[in-house]
Amino acid sequence: MALARLFLIFFVVLTVIYVSLSFYSRARARDRLEAEWDAGDKPGPREAYVKHGLADYDGSLRRKLILGVYIVPTLLVCLIIYLVNFA
Amino acid sequence: MRYIGWTFLIAFWVAVGAFLHYSLPQRDIVRIVRVFEERQDLNDWTRIFWSRPDEQSDGFINRDVQFIQTVRANGRPMVYRNEDTGWSWPPYFKFDTSNLFTEAADATSTRDNPEWYVITHYGWRNEFLTIFPNAISLRQVEGPDASKGIPWVNIIILTTIAAIFYAIWVRWRRFRRARIDPRIEEIQDSWEAAGDAVSQRRGRIRRWLDTWRSK
Repeated sequence: MALARLFLIFFVVLTVIYVSLSFYSRARARDRLEAEWDAGDKPGPREAYVKHGLADYDGSLRRKLILGVYIVPTLLVCLIIYLVNFA
Repeated sequence: MRYIGWTFLIAFWVAVGAFLHYSLPQRDIVRIVRVFEERQDLNDWTRIFWSRPDEQSDGFINRDVQFIQTVRANGRPMVYRNEDTGWSWPPYFKFDTSNLFTEAADATSTRDNPEWYVITHYGWRNEFLTIFPNAISLRQVEGPDASKGIPWVNIIILTTIAAIFYAIWVRWRRFRRARIDPRIEEIQDSWEAAGDAVSQRRGRIRRWLDTWRSK
């Protein structure tokens, strides 16, 4: 039960961080694309350029790296458990 | 008003400091004298200074707790409790209490023929509250003057916390300068403008009244 409670707290806190980071990162990507188009030399209308760029972003490694929000603390807990009990 | 602000600020930082001092690991160099197990009553507020090794322990008003009796390198006694922290706070995830008890029993030595150990622990010893620091691990060292090692865990955690507080503080200050300070100035300006207008009007009325005075 204590483990379940820990999981629940971890899940809620990390999900809040994950969602905030996702929105932030996507907004940054959009800003970057708009700035690129505004600098000139880019084909097509601004909307289409940004939309296409964001589609690329959705499949990018950068976006998947945000999953580290879940992975890093889990690995940290495993490391602590190993060091405290078995090292 | 200023004193209230300072009191809150000092109380806040003392609380943060005490919390960290209680939770972060520390190392002592000790000679282990004896290990024992004793029934402890846990039904008053000092319960917060004992662990919750498993679910049942929440309901118990007393239970057996393992202790490690030691003498520190400076000759003063120190008693550690030996309890699982399990999955609860603080996050040491200690499950090897019985193993540590065995290690400690194996490491006892006499005053004439001492063996010295570095014992990692968290928590406080307080004689009035009858609370004990929780031992985490043992490691044998050369002698009472041996190095305890560099506290990397504490360095990393404290640096991270300082960085987080600094980041929040900088952003708050920037926000205040950009959004709140101009508002306050605006209010002050309009207040002063209102004051000027009132005194100007009063001046005009006074001048008008003065025209009725006999010269």
